[in-house]
Amino acid sequence: MEFAIETNGLTKSFGAIKAVDNLNLCVSSNSIHGFLGPNGAGKSTTIKILVGLLRADSGRAKILGADVKGDDPRTRQKVGYLPELPKFPKHLTGQELLEIYGQMYGMSRSQLKTVVPKLLETVGLTGRGKSRIGSYSKGMQQRLGIAQALLSDPELLILDEPSIGLDPVGMVEVRDLIKSIASHGRTILLSSHMLYEVEQICTHVTIINHGVSLASGPIEEVTKHLSGKTSIEMEIVNMKDSIEEAIRRMPFVSSLTRRGRHLSIQLQTKDDVRTQISQLITSNGGIIVHMAQHGNDLESVFLQLVSRSEEQTK
Amino acid sequence: MTKEKPLGKDSIFYRFMAIVRYEILWHIRKKKVLGLLILVFSLATLSFVLPVVLGNIYNRPVNADPDHVINSGAFLGELGFFLLAIVTAMNSISGEFESGTIVPLLTKPISRTVVFLGKLFATFLILLLTYSFYFLYMAVGGSIVYGPQNNLQLMPLVLLGSLISTFVWVSIVLAIGSLSRSSLTAALGAFGVWLGLSLGIGIFSAVSGETWILHYVPGGGARGFMKTGEGAPNSGPIVQTGTGSIGDNLVKLFLNPAAEVNFFTAQTPLYTESLALILTRSLIVAGVYISIFLFVAWFALRRAQIAD
Repeated sequence: MEFAIETNGLTKSFGAIKAVDNLNLCVSSNSIHGFLGPNGAGKSTTIKILVGLLRADSGRAKILGADVKGDDPRTRQKVGYLPELPKFPKHLTGQELLEIYGQMYGMSRSQLKTVVPKLLETVGLTGRGKSRIGSYSKGMQQRLGIAQALLSDPELLILDEPSIGLDPVGMVEVRDLIKSIASHGRTILLSSHMLYEVEQICTHVTIINHGVSLASGPIEEVTKHLSGKTSIEMEIVNMKDSIEEAIRRMPFVSSLTRRGRHLSIQLQTKDDVRTQISQLITSNGGIIVHMAQHGNDLESVFLQLVSRSEEQTK
Repeated sequence: MTKEKPLGKDSIFYRFMAIVRYEILWHIRKKKVLGLLILVFSLATLSFVLPVVLGNIYNRPVNADPDHVINSGAFLGELGFFLLAIVTAMNSISGEFESGTIVPLLTKPISRTVVFLGKLFATFLILLLTYSFYFLYMAVGGSIVYGPQNNLQLMPLVLLGSLISTFVWVSIVLAIGSLSRSSLTAALGAFGVWLGLSLGIGIFSAVSGETWILHYVPGGGARGFMKTGEGAPNSGPIVQTGTGSIGDNLVKLFLNPAAEVNFFTAQTPLYTESLALILTRSLIVAGVYISIFLFVAWFALRRAQIAD
């Protein structure tokens, strides 16, 4: 398999603290790869090594097949990077910033004339391109950050917390934008605290803590292999004893608790069995008002892995 | 959306110009630079207006002086060069670190060396522009107040010398700024160096009589008197040997190619040197300082790790 990003034994310390510890990270080409971890897990440090802001103490890192060796403009030519809480020169306007950065990518003036207004429109900054960045809100600066990361139509896009500072509408827009970019055959490494966001848009995920990779792979595989016991919480109108009995008899159900019209079903499987249960209920005349499966979602897996890692560290 | 452009020589120059534009816009829109320009031009205006006003008050009309402009060409002096260097260079690299703008800048496909050179070139252009306007203003103002001026064709030499003198301090400010990543440290550190050299070395050389030390440190340097063949040996025009007097000495040498300079401690003659030697030495000293400190600044930026 071809990897857009590949690290091998990547290690970086700050004094006595190991920020990244022998990290092996593989990001497949044309994937949206979520990079998850609690604060201080080593996500941003790893990303900064990849984009040349930091030098690794040991190990190797490759981006789009080229070794990352400190200050290498050629590698960065094909990479777009959105830093966490990006800061841009306040004296420039949004349009000037994109034009200057575009020039640094080697884009011609005629290219920039077309691309810059289009990008400003894409990130929702139409009409604000000629305002100084100093007058931008945090959300607008974040949008500008996304625009500058997309400037050169990069093969690889590294986004560090792209939704920070955005309102809910902005978050949805960014998610849709990321999906749309990935659909054009681009690779995206998305570092985020928002598990829901990662689950929504990523095809793959790597979870790290204390600089160590805890799990990595396609999201379904990671959640399926690592999740513990799962349960389903339901609210049913027209609940009958016959429905309860029928559910209890299902082979994957280990136990069931009923409180009025609320059911809590403990499962012996990690598979998604919501369809089978809902079919059984509706065929017996019940109406499902609410249904949620817990335990095999990314959040549960993440919390489980991180707490296990914290215990081991202690 | 766009197609990648290959990295070639032309392309590197094109990217270099992006840094120059980035930096010049910052200089132009920075209120501190505007403030200093206003101050410098106000002082220059005052230097013309004050003699006229005082002359009217005390009933002593200003006499025509055809050499006024060329003799006061280096009006800004060592403090002026130092202040201009501080204002133009103190934030150039360290400001990027402080504001966090270094992160998006250094992750663009442009090497840190090009970033450094672009910033340096922009600083040079800003100083060139400032000095050009300043000397033009001096020439026009001087001609109005003191009548037609001699040797105005030598003003470019003053301009060149002033740029070299200022760049000694620019390189020191950049080096301290790159190492400390703090604009305040860059400014205060450079001020400490300036004060230490101006006062410390000055006092030491005066007390010990070892005036030659002043030839080799940035600043005004030792003070001598040009031999004129008339009057006492210490009555001729003053010549300073430091990196801050290159412009002035260039003009003096052009007008007096064979000039010699006498040095004294108290009233005792010490030694005599040719003006050509003094100028050559100050150019070499300036060159060495500029090279060393710019190398330190470049190396610090090139090796900088950005964790925050």
